[in-house]
Amino acid sequence: MNRTLRKLFSNAASLLGIILLIFFIVIAVFAPVLAPPLSDDPYQIPRMSWDVNPQPPGFPMSDNIRDMYEYIGKEVKYDKALCGTAQGGYDIFYGLIWGTRTAFKIGIITVFAAMLIGLFTGSIAAYFGKWLDEILMRITDIFLSFPFLVAAMVLTTILGRGLDKVMIALIAFGWMGYARVIRGSILSAKEETYVMAAKALGVRDGKIIWRHLLPNTIFPVLIQASMNIGTMVVTAATLSFLGVGAPMGYADWGQMVSFARNWIIGAPGHAGQYWYTVFYPGIFIILFVLAWNLIGDTLRDILDPRLRGEL
Amino acid sequence: MIANNKKPLLKVEDLKTYFFTENGVVKAVDGVDFEVHKRETLGLVGESGCGKSVTAFSIMRLLDYPGKTVGGKILFKDENLLKKSAQEMRKIRGKEIAMIFQEPMTALNPVLTIGYQISEGLMMHFDIGKEEAMRKSIELLEKVSMPIPEQRVNEYPHQLSGGMRQRAMIAMAMCCDPILLIADEPTTSLDVTIQAQILDLMKLLLQEFNASLIMITHDLSVIAEIADKIAVMYAGKIVECADIKTVFHAPLHPYTFGLLTSIPRLDVEMERLNAISGVVPDPLKFPQGCKFNPRCKFATDRCKEEEPPLVKVEEGHMVRCWHIHRVKEEVKKGFFAGLRVDG
Repeated sequence: MNRTLRKLFSNAASLLGIILLIFFIVIAVFAPVLAPPLSDDPYQIPRMSWDVNPQPPGFPMSDNIRDMYEYIGKEVKYDKALCGTAQGGYDIFYGLIWGTRTAFKIGIITVFAAMLIGLFTGSIAAYFGKWLDEILMRITDIFLSFPFLVAAMVLTTILGRGLDKVMIALIAFGWMGYARVIRGSILSAKEETYVMAAKALGVRDGKIIWRHLLPNTIFPVLIQASMNIGTMVVTAATLSFLGVGAPMGYADWGQMVSFARNWIIGAPGHAGQYWYTVFYPGIFIILFVLAWNLIGDTLRDILDPRLRGEL
Repeated sequence: MIANNKKPLLKVEDLKTYFFTENGVVKAVDGVDFEVHKRETLGLVGESGCGKSVTAFSIMRLLDYPGKTVGGKILFKDENLLKKSAQEMRKIRGKEIAMIFQEPMTALNPVLTIGYQISEGLMMHFDIGKEEAMRKSIELLEKVSMPIPEQRVNEYPHQLSGGMRQRAMIAMAMCCDPILLIADEPTTSLDVTIQAQILDLMKLLLQEFNASLIMITHDLSVIAEIADKIAVMYAGKIVECADIKTVFHAPLHPYTFGLLTSIPRLDVEMERLNAISGVVPDPLKFPQGCKFNPRCKFATDRCKEEEPPLVKVEEGHMVRCWHIHRVKEEVKKGFFAGLRVDG
């Protein structure tokens, strides 16, 4: 493990990945401090004005909104749009900060759940083989035959709007890769003598899979999972961008890019006038995905003996 | 020697295990019979590919597709193991019948500690907690003369030497006091000095645990060291079965005879080492008649047509050959006069 950590920190790319990840973790953890919520639902992006047009960075909260908060007796702890506002006066800075939490939630929950389903299906199929393998892998093939984005979009549309629905859709069409990878690894690992030895000792099948086979085969899956966190976040953002994801005003980077859709070019004669509407959420998405991919790459270099040059 | 009037602990009758491959049916074990009594050690001898290990795996019912036991009986304590459910079988494995494997490196899981792997069996078969299982594991490692067992329980297989790994394997096999131990070439991958230590250890443990042993090996010197009785296998069948002295001094099957004469000896002047000519036949294309006939110097036309039955020559001596008398003559010529067998 020491060697793993040393390698993670000695490589420039992975160091960048780690720094980025720590940056995002800090933002997610300190979100209530960095951007104190103004309403009961912290994931609801506050509006700084009722105006449709985006407002530039540094824009102070408009008086009528301040009056509204005072009227309902809420203290306004947060009244300046540091990164400007998006269409409809939604505060970009607030959305970025709380959107980090959303991104972690989407990335980690979907990948973790998809990995569990994939591990379960793949390991059972490989270990018991025969008809069970045949059935489970054909089901996997069926799921694989749908284009991921389209399938996720259709399922989200059927389930309705909302982040939880997006996650369900992403999990439903995101587990097959893990199932295939773990199946392949277990198919070769189950021929090892130690599996036979464990069976000869009377160890239960479930325990053989869990304690003997998975620890020997899970690394490729973990690598894939860490890479997939980025993919899942981008896909969720895509769904939000297309309008089937997070509900209106929810702190979600994809939604914020969606807000920017009409303002990317700027007014005639003022190209890029509203750059902040697309730049900030865009750069957050890019950096978040980059962080996970860099870490995934390094994990692969460390954990895959074939790439390590030892085999 | 052990009296044969008691009921055997394990009785294998006409065991047939075939492999259904794409190229045809491989009859790896084709009608094997033998008995193991309490506290007895049976040596199962034969060349590679003669079906020794498959016999062992069939007894444990550890064979997976495409291998399948298609016939016969395996009576263990008078109960047919082939009729047991998977659940019942799992309770027998490790607790009643345990197995030691050839390669301790591959038979131990690289990512689990020695202690875990021993205590796993204990926790599976007895209702004990983790800590007690660990304590028992240390005791077991002490019993197999593992140096500094308290430290070794927390180590991984790659941190141990070959001999120590085999000791750990033996500790794993002995963890639940099995009454029958099957050892599949346990010393083959070890060097000679370690081999002797391991064999001594196994003898000691068999006495202490009152266990029987089926020792599978191609190494006759190992057999001579440890076995009471020998069953010689060739091409999926037992060709000769007798107690150890008879096999070494008065073999009656040409294959046994060939095996014995191919051992290099120091006490007899020999120009060159005798070897059995030819190779083990392709299991998909076994010869007609006696399967040993293409390699046998006693072979006649009858051997090429008719397969000899396993006949009882005398009490406790079974041979599968048409030409017992001619082999006897050859043996009498004095080839084995000087061969000494321990035990």
